[in-house]
Amino acid sequence: MPKYLFFITIAFLCTNLFGQKCNFALSGIVVEKSKGEVVPNTYVYIEELSIGVMTNEKGEFKFPFLCAGDYHLNIDHVGCETKHVFLHFTASEQIDVVIEHYVQMLDGVHLLGHKSEVTTQSVQSIGYQNIQKNANENLGNLLEGLTGVSTLKNGSGIAKPVVHGMYGNRVMVLNNGVVQSGQQWGNDHSPEIDPMVASNIKVIKGVGALEYQGSSLGSFVSVEPKEISDDPHLHGASNSFYESNGNGVGLNFTLEKSDKYFDWRLVGTLKKFGDRSASNYYLTNTGSGEANLALQLKKQWNSDWLTKAYLSSFNTELGVLKGSHISTESDLESALIQDIPFNTKGTFSYEIESPRQLVNHHLLKVFNQYRVSANETYEFIYSGQLNLRQEFDIRTQGKSDVPAMKINQNTHNVEVKHQHIVDQWKLKQGVQYTFTNNTNSNGETGLKPLIPDYLSHQLGVFGLATLKKNSWMYELGARYNFTYQNSAVIKQILKTSATTGNEYLQDTISKYNNYFHTIGLSSGIRYRTQKDLHWAFNVGITSRNPAINELYSNGLHQGVAAIEIGNSELKQETGAKATLGLEGDVAQKLFFESLVYYQYINDYIFLNPLTGDDGIDSTTRGVYRVYEYDQTNAEIFGLDVAVTYQFTDNIKTKMKYSFLRGNNLSENIPLINMPANNLLANIDYNLPKFGYFTNNYVGVDYKYVWQQTHYKDGQDFIDPPNAYQLMGLKIGTTTKWKNTKIDIYSKATNVLNISYRDYLNRLRYFADENGRSITIGVKFSF
Amino acid sequence: MLRLLKCPIFVDIKQSKMNLTTKSTKMKLEKLIIAFVLVLGVSCSKNDPIIPNEEELITTLTYTLTPTDGGDDVVLIYKDLDAEGTSFDAEITNGTLEANKTYSGVITLSNESEDPAENMTEEVEEEANDHQFFFIDIPTGFTIRYDDSDSDGNPIGLSTIVETKDTYVGGDLTIILKHEPNKFAEDITIYDATNAGGETDIEVTFEMN
Repeated sequence: MPKYLFFITIAFLCTNLFGQKCNFALSGIVVEKSKGEVVPNTYVYIEELSIGVMTNEKGEFKFPFLCAGDYHLNIDHVGCETKHVFLHFTASEQIDVVIEHYVQMLDGVHLLGHKSEVTTQSVQSIGYQNIQKNANENLGNLLEGLTGVSTLKNGSGIAKPVVHGMYGNRVMVLNNGVVQSGQQWGNDHSPEIDPMVASNIKVIKGVGALEYQGSSLGSFVSVEPKEISDDPHLHGASNSFYESNGNGVGLNFTLEKSDKYFDWRLVGTLKKFGDRSASNYYLTNTGSGEANLALQLKKQWNSDWLTKAYLSSFNTELGVLKGSHISTESDLESALIQDIPFNTKGTFSYEIESPRQLVNHHLLKVFNQYRVSANETYEFIYSGQLNLRQEFDIRTQGKSDVPAMKINQNTHNVEVKHQHIVDQWKLKQGVQYTFTNNTNSNGETGLKPLIPDYLSHQLGVFGLATLKKNSWMYELGARYNFTYQNSAVIKQILKTSATTGNEYLQDTISKYNNYFHTIGLSSGIRYRTQKDLHWAFNVGITSRNPAINELYSNGLHQGVAAIEIGNSELKQETGAKATLGLEGDVAQKLFFESLVYYQYINDYIFLNPLTGDDGIDSTTRGVYRVYEYDQTNAEIFGLDVAVTYQFTDNIKTKMKYSFLRGNNLSENIPLINMPANNLLANIDYNLPKFGYFTNNYVGVDYKYVWQQTHYKDGQDFIDPPNAYQLMGLKIGTTTKWKNTKIDIYSKATNVLNISYRDYLNRLRYFADENGRSITIGVKFSF
Repeated sequence: MLRLLKCPIFVDIKQSKMNLTTKSTKMKLEKLIIAFVLVLGVSCSKNDPIIPNEEELITTLTYTLTPTDGGDDVVLIYKDLDAEGTSFDAEITNGTLEANKTYSGVITLSNESEDPAENMTEEVEEEANDHQFFFIDIPTGFTIRYDDSDSDGNPIGLSTIVETKDTYVGGDLTIILKHEPNKFAEDITIYDATNAGGETDIEVTFEMN
């Protein structure tokens, strides 16, 4: 810190020493992003000079006598995220500062059209401050607060997003614009992404993500890293937290600088959790550890060429609830009815034993942009991913430390994109090629793999066109993909012994070649009826080829305590989705957004739990429930609504409601594993500045989740759990010590320590969800 | 290189070219593919995976009950060729006991998924201190006791004595083999493995008449 001060002082002395005149004026206007309106009563502060002024009624501010030099400006407005601006100030200047209101920011009422919108599809997002103040959460849990988004969990630490009832292979996750590879097929596999790198996490609840070569059936999640600031000084932050449930600790740091040769940013995260606890017992063996590092580089070679590189390494170890590993049929029956899971210990521990997972995910992205003209660019992108997943099981003969599943997946992706603006048309086309190579280490595990070794080549082309005209915006998009898969499946065939005449099994390798042609089409329209009312309509068709796991998985999937059987006869599935959104506000006080959607899926692929005797299989590794991949025609429809009422600039309340229903049309029964309807409500109060403390806030959250009643008796091993309600609290403040900004935040979840189970948690058969938890965090930024 | 030319992907790309929009895209596409196929040295056929040697697989449990006062043996057989898989169903041979009789029981284990079949009983005998059978579900009027012991003097269960009373009418008999149980744990009996811990090597249920 002192070093930094020294640096600034020197910088200052220099500017003064060289005797510049100090009569330059810095003036400007502060504007709110979504409405473009000026913002009065905003505090504009110059760090170097420790002086500040308030904006007037017209949103204007002015510093009349400034020396030339480098300045850091902080722009603060109640209910808005503090904005930082770096200014290389050489002469009198007028600047426009755009700030974003929390109403739009926090959990993104970005629904349809705002000034900044780029699509007609429905977008929700979680902003930087919100991510930073939830440093203890993983990606899935972070997204849970958005309407229409739920999480599919496997115990406490493993969570993946569910958007409009879709998850896994159907919801593409973009990590800095790269389609996250890795084994996202597993319901017990979290996306291997550190949310702390992100400035913004978006959920696009749309009809098609045609720009990206992934397997999406409409919606996708995009994790966008923060842009490196163009500030030539070293800046950084450290964010550390403690969470009471699981005695979790975490540390995140960021360093960034716009250097002479290139701009860089480095983000690292360390996290350690012990056993989580339900409301009245420990969830034994649910600890986790995480160590991540990400490096961003940016180099503007000249006015035409720009290169950005992104290198990230994500490493985690996750314990799986001990009580989910059941070894006998009788134990399984009692596990389903008893309150406290088997093997529950009475004491807390950081130790992680088998069953557990070890996951490493490394990503390299090199992005090159060539600007032909102000209206035309080419992008050349390479991305490579290495994903190593090891799952350890409770095995005899000291083999618990030998993985029962070890998969190494490499993905290479090359793409070229072309963007062109012609009149009011914005056109984008591209070609993409992806190679995936997936290899199991059978020699090491000594077991047949759950999903086979395979490689795939995928080639895609897309074209998008956007037209903005008056109050209208039109969008059209198309994609074609060719996929070749080659899998080497180990199969057992029945043989008769020549010597004894007894039957025995012989392992043989079968190779499967698959060719798939998939298409995607989407079109959208947005209309701004008047300044405060927008509506948008989207339709799209997307098809998805069956993934390797759906075709050929065969065996025990330890993490979810189930045997999964693939079906090599599966055809590709095709979904058609329509969304209708409406958004607006009344007098800048009442904001509302709603989205109605309907999706029809032809040949929907799903994991069907077998019932009766077939539903339980005894293996030498224990007794497990049996699921088989099946295909049906399905429909999913629903409604997302959010209403925010702003009493004053300081107090606002928000209500969100999601309704969803899924039907298996072929059999005329409900679709299994669809999220239950839920309601979220919160009140946030931004307290006035108090002494040295600014940005003071308190908030109360309430969540009600209905029981999933759209369910046919006997469809699952046990009926969906009861409805539940949760309370949460949060409080925080910001202060300053010299040039260090200090954010202190605290929150409590499940305040009433309710014992409950969630329908979308695969371990709900065995254990409750987490009990009360209190998190305290502090972030220093300089 | 020859293998690359044979690659089915090339054939298909050429066929699917019709779907591409512009000529320049076509050119770009072709160059791109060729370049990267070469650069990455990728192939079109996945190498053969290693077939793992799955050890200690028990596919078959035979429980032979011999009446001590003479008569025919009762032979119970449980056989599941792919013990861990689901492609082949288990074949179960059930049996009938008489009331008021004493039987001596012998369990044998084997791995019949291989040719020749592997005798797994020896494995259990060799690691007797780490194995114990339990009979966690028994028919009414059926009692059973251990008739063997390991070097610590704890039972194994490969040999047992069964007695039927006059109330015997049949019912389910569930046998489990625990691997690495705590044989010294409190309250463990031949009927109750709750406190023994360990892992289950095999669990089978016979319907007794």
